[in-house]
Amino acid sequence: MDNNTVLVTENIKSYYVLDVGGSKKVVKAVDDVNLTIRKNEIYGIAGESGCGKTTLMKTLYALMNPPLRFMGGKVIYYRDDQEIDILSLSKEERRKLRWEYIAYIPQGAMSIFNPVIKLKETYRDFLDSHLSGKTRDEIFEIAREHIKELGLPIKVLEAYPHQLSGGMRQRVAIALAGLLKPAVIFADEPTTALDVVVQRGVVQLLKDIQESLKNTIILVTHDMGIHANISDRMAIMYAGKIIEEAETKEIFYNPLHPYTRFLINSLPKFGDKGVRASAPGNPPSLANLPTGCPFHPRCPEKTDICTREVPELVQTGEEHKTACWLVSKGDE
Amino acid sequence: MFVKRYLIPRLLQYFLVIFLGITIVFFIPRFAPTNPVQRTISEIRSRGTYLNPADVEQMVADLTRLYGLEGSWGEQYIEFWRKLFKGDFGISFFQFPTPVIELIKTALPWTVGLLFTTTVLSWVIGNIIGGIAGYRNNRLWSRILDGVVMFIRPLPYYIFALGLLILLAYVFRLFPISGGASIGRLPSFTLSYILDVLKHAFLPALSLVVLGAASWFQASKLIVQNVNAEDFVQYAQLGGIKERKIMFKYVIRNAMLPQITNLALSLGQILSGALITEIVFSYPGLGNLLFSAINTGDYNLIMGITALSIVAITTLVLMIDLLYPLFDPRIKYK
Ligand SMILES: Nc1ncnc2c1ncn2[C@@H]1O[C@H](COP(=O)(O)OP(=O)(O)OP(=O)(O)O)[C@@H](O)[C@H]1O
Ligand SMILES: [Mg+2]
Repeated sequence: MDNNTVLVTENIKSYYVLDVGGSKKVVKAVDDVNLTIRKNEIYGIAGESGCGKTTLMKTLYALMNPPLRFMGGKVIYYRDDQEIDILSLSKEERRKLRWEYIAYIPQGAMSIFNPVIKLKETYRDFLDSHLSGKTRDEIFEIAREHIKELGLPIKVLEAYPHQLSGGMRQRVAIALAGLLKPAVIFADEPTTALDVVVQRGVVQLLKDIQESLKNTIILVTHDMGIHANISDRMAIMYAGKIIEEAETKEIFYNPLHPYTRFLINSLPKFGDKGVRASAPGNPPSLANLPTGCPFHPRCPEKTDICTREVPELVQTGEEHKTACWLVSKGDE
Repeated sequence: MFVKRYLIPRLLQYFLVIFLGITIVFFIPRFAPTNPVQRTISEIRSRGTYLNPADVEQMVADLTRLYGLEGSWGEQYIEFWRKLFKGDFGISFFQFPTPVIELIKTALPWTVGLLFTTTVLSWVIGNIIGGIAGYRNNRLWSRILDGVVMFIRPLPYYIFALGLLILLAYVFRLFPISGGASIGRLPSFTLSYILDVLKHAFLPALSLVVLGAASWFQASKLIVQNVNAEDFVQYAQLGGIKERKIMFKYVIRNAMLPQITNLALSLGQILSGALITEIVFSYPGLGNLLFSAINTGDYNLIMGITALSIVAITTLVLMIDLLYPLFDPRIKYK
């Protein structure tokens, strides 16, 4: 591994194993995902609702509560030339890794704060659990400094979560993620449910933190506009798999997978009043996937092989990988 | 702002509820088909006592006065309130001529002492243990405890209490069989008297705490399992916050909120006493007193105890309403 890499996954699989009336139902939410993520980049992940983005993030973060189960593969972090296999760490080692080395901004920041304590108490709990030998006052001082540095109003520390607007709560969640200067921040849909003006501020805050920490942000959003804005590289996810990965520019100028083309075409363009074409039909159920390429039932360009065999994610250009028979067949 | 917009209307409501409650207590016996005066006289007659007509007339007059039944209902009602403010509930008939207030005063400390302590203790124990067991619900000890509680909880109270009594007072003579203190001992503030009282209270308290805590345990465990699934608990886990802190400050703290209201309601019921406990352990208290009052048709005593319960419950509800925002900042006075 060159020392520019911070995170590598090898064929990770995470399934929801459900017991439905005595029979087992398996939702293949993350299926055979290989990623290589670099230091100092914003790596975007896009895909329709329900395709497994959140599950993938939780797997990378090693937070899997039932019914979610890890079914195989490896998640390796590179920390100062040291390999860390996060899923084989002890509970306490994993607890310490969190927030100090990897941090998380969960989807739906509206309800992530303990409703009965002030935000400064939440700050204190994060700091207390990771720094030792600090007094209460020192801890609050760190919290105040941190809030001030990011340009947030200092009074949020004295507020209870319900007293803040959704946008402010989201900003606090982002600020908290950068608190201990982690090497990787996972941000799951940080702009969803916010109005456009607030979204801009939130995206800017993420950008600011990344620029000052020079760390990695893995940004999940189904909003392609935001990816165009800040992601350096990105992956497109479909039915639990990565189906295309490239630099963001390349994805937008040279999309190879028909699904990626649909995603990009569905973006509104300036001065264009026509109806945008999104992918026809609905995403497949992850508990009952079609044979072959999971996208084939919706694909306007499908051929025979698409219905029979699953295409691998293969190199289709410099820094560009695609999982589509239309592209890989040409190589054979 | 708070005083004008919230406190004053809330206090007015408080007094109105007490006023209406006690008014109902006043009218219900008066709508009852039996006349307490005639009933008392026929009881005396049924014991075979000969009463000559002049005595009967005198008795009717006396009883009518003692029951507060002189004059029109309006006059009676005003007189009733006038006496109430002086703490005078009239005279008890089942222990004639002791004033009702004296009987209540004697029984009250036993009841409050036993029930207040056991209610609070069961609440604390049940909620903390239930909370921890709910948070660690896949540990072996948590499942075993769950099984034990599931067995204890449906036991009828009197069987459980009798079992304890037989085991710990007859078979192993560790505790006294009955009473609130040793017979013949006068109440005093000495260590030996207090120890004597505690020793007598132990079995009744144990029976109440075990079954009480078992039911709080089950409620709390259920609530905790729901709180466990809340986003803020998962966020604390994502943040690598220490387990103990997540358990107490995030999970149990939030799970206790709905239980605070329930505690207040249980405390309000204290003043009707714990009849079965008092019977099984021959423990002096309001439960026994109320039971005798109902059995003997002692209206003044029934009204006295009921009026007191009304005041106690409304006061506790008021206190909870005023204090609740301290526990849950999302609740505003409205
Ligand atoms: N607790 C759960 N139990 C069972 N199935 C689940 C659970 N959570 C998610 N799933 C299923 O797993 C699949 C992937 O879910 P996931 O939340 O990862 O999707 P997502 O891409 O993050 O969607 P969204 O854009 O809506 O956040 C979905 O089909 C979903 O129905
Ligand atoms: Mg999601």
